[in-house]
Amino acid sequence: MIEVRNLEKVFQKDQSEVRVLEDISLTIGEGEFVSIMAPSGMGKSTFLNILGCLDKPSSGTYILDNVPVHEMNDDELSHIRNKKFGFVFQSFHLLPRMTAWENVTLPLIYSEADANMKAKAVQVLEAVGLGDRVDHLPRELSGGQQQRVAIARALVNDPRIILADEPTGNLDSKSGQEIMGIFKKLHGEGRTLIVVTHDREVALLSDRIIEMKDGRISSDRPTAQALTEVAL
Amino acid sequence: MRAARMARQALSAVSENKTRTLLMMLGVIIGVATLTIIASSVLGARGMVMEKVEKFGLDQIMIMAGAGRKPGVPQPIPTTLRVEDGQAIESEVPNIKDVSPQINRRDYLVKYGAKSSYGVLVAANPNWSAVWNTAAESGRFLSEEDRTRLARVAVIGKTVVRDLFEDEDPIGKQVLLGNNPFEVIGVLEPRGTSATGVDMDSRVIIPLSTGQKRVFNQEYLAMIKVALQDPSRMDQTVADVRALLRERHNLPQGLEDDFTIVTPTQVMSLASKVSTTFSLFLVLVSAISLIVGAVVIANIMFIAVNERKGEIGIRRAVGATKNDILSQFLFEAVTIALLGGVIGAALGIVGLKGLAFLMKAPMAAMWQPIALALLSAALVGLAAGIQPARAAANLNPIEALR
Ligand SMILES: Nc1ncnc2c1ncn2[C@@H]1O[C@H](COP(=O)(O)OP(=O)(O)OP(=O)(O)O)[C@@H](O)[C@H]1O
Ligand SMILES: [Mg+2]
Repeated sequence: MIEVRNLEKVFQKDQSEVRVLEDISLTIGEGEFVSIMAPSGMGKSTFLNILGCLDKPSSGTYILDNVPVHEMNDDELSHIRNKKFGFVFQSFHLLPRMTAWENVTLPLIYSEADANMKAKAVQVLEAVGLGDRVDHLPRELSGGQQQRVAIARALVNDPRIILADEPTGNLDSKSGQEIMGIFKKLHGEGRTLIVVTHDREVALLSDRIIEMKDGRISSDRPTAQALTEVAL
Repeated sequence: MRAARMARQALSAVSENKTRTLLMMLGVIIGVATLTIIASSVLGARGMVMEKVEKFGLDQIMIMAGAGRKPGVPQPIPTTLRVEDGQAIESEVPNIKDVSPQINRRDYLVKYGAKSSYGVLVAANPNWSAVWNTAAESGRFLSEEDRTRLARVAVIGKTVVRDLFEDEDPIGKQVLLGNNPFEVIGVLEPRGTSATGVDMDSRVIIPLSTGQKRVFNQEYLAMIKVALQDPSRMDQTVADVRALLRERHNLPQGLEDDFTIVTPTQVMSLASKVSTTFSLFLVLVSAISLIVGAVVIANIMFIAVNERKGEIGIRRAVGATKNDILSQFLFEAVTIALLGGVIGAALGIVGLKGLAFLMKAPMAAMWQPIALALLSAALVGLAAGIQPARAAANLNPIEALR
């Protein structure tokens, strides 16, 4: 469903250019759980943002469900983000003045669906185990709970692809376990998961581990294979 | 529906930071409040003047004895304006419908038994009633017979009735005008206060002939009111009347008129000139507050956009288009400005009530200026919000999320 070819991303910084992604080609199929690992500053977030249509590549092609995304305009990209992707960020990014359920409805506001937004939000919050925190403000929730609200927000429009950028990076290990449990479940439901992580335990849940170095993919293998190599 | 949901989002942001919202509204509140007060009072004053002018008669001119009388400066009334002048005008000038000559005295003592009242004594012909558009409410008005007989009869206004008769029926009673006994034959319908503040209901009307021979002992007139057939030809008629009077009064060229002609257009243009200058100044005041209000709103919106970068990034990430973000911030700005407008209009109405109380004059809040004020508030919001909203919409979502 995702197919990128010769992807390149160059940032203009003052006079100089920063070539973050040099030449990235890869295919991700429906229902895959992929983790992306690399040292800091290697361009993981940049790549994920391009996959999620938040950013555009400097050159190269990106085909999503047989549609050339790299040719789309801003409004079309917004529509795709709303329909096909759910984002989960390291620092949750909840709106502080909105309750949990109101935060979860945010994607619904920008979609045409006209169902009962609150009922839908509560239903998704229950699915991530927060049925009893519906009316809480973010500051009244623990980090793990906030991240689960963020996941509920990512799920409320029922997207087929979940993109997560270091989702457990700000959490203690117990909360991280909870998030991983939810990811496992989502994977079981047949959704496609692409997770940027430094956390080996998260990576071990995935089917496939991609490593990046100097703007290129340095390694792309099934998790089982990566595991045996580590074991050797 | 999508629009309604987004409007609700914007409203929640407005109610979030109340102090800031109030600060943003302040300029608009002041601007709209002053605009409401100004426009209502100017329109009201103009309406009042127009009403007075219309009562005066749009098809009538007044010829007063004496050159341009200055208010508050006592001047001897010349003895040159005469009944014959009126007759000559009627017979020699075209476009004349009716001519009503009169003598009047202010603060004239009227007595009935032990009670007394000070009225405006007017000596006039029977056609006064038609020319002044004031009929007898009870009893009758002066008749042709009263004129020829030099009858000692009077038609009196409501204020005089109240002062002298209380519950008694005044018709048929004898009152003293100076030392002359007069029979009350009628009561005038009420007319309120004139444009110059004279109580029109304190008038006492007697036959002109009686006044000349038995009360004032004078032949000359104080004024002649002239009704025209075609008011659109007023300028020509005024010129004709003036030429005729100058000729009859033997005024050589270079000498000023010994009479003054007042036309309704003169009264109106004076009134509108005064109120235009006044309103121009006050409109400037409210325009400045509205502009200051717009600048304040724009600046605080820029700060808010910067503070809410994260929010903008999240909204963009979950599918908000640039237009959605633009609309949200624009809607916020307009809502704040309109809210300020509503508060300002309410304060303006309260202010008008206060002014009305202080000046003892009716000052109605009018819907046109309030509508105008709210419209300008909305425009202020749009003008102030457009640049910050654009900045918000054009934020790179990646930068906004960092
Ligand atoms: N807008 C930008 N302008 C200039 N340089 C940028 C911009 N965004 C990212 N970069 C640079 O691109 C490189 C990759 O950034 P990116 O955030 O993708 O790395 P990352 O792999 O996600 O790192 P981390 O693990 O720390 O999150 C960094 O060197 C960063 O400084
Ligand atoms: Mg990163």
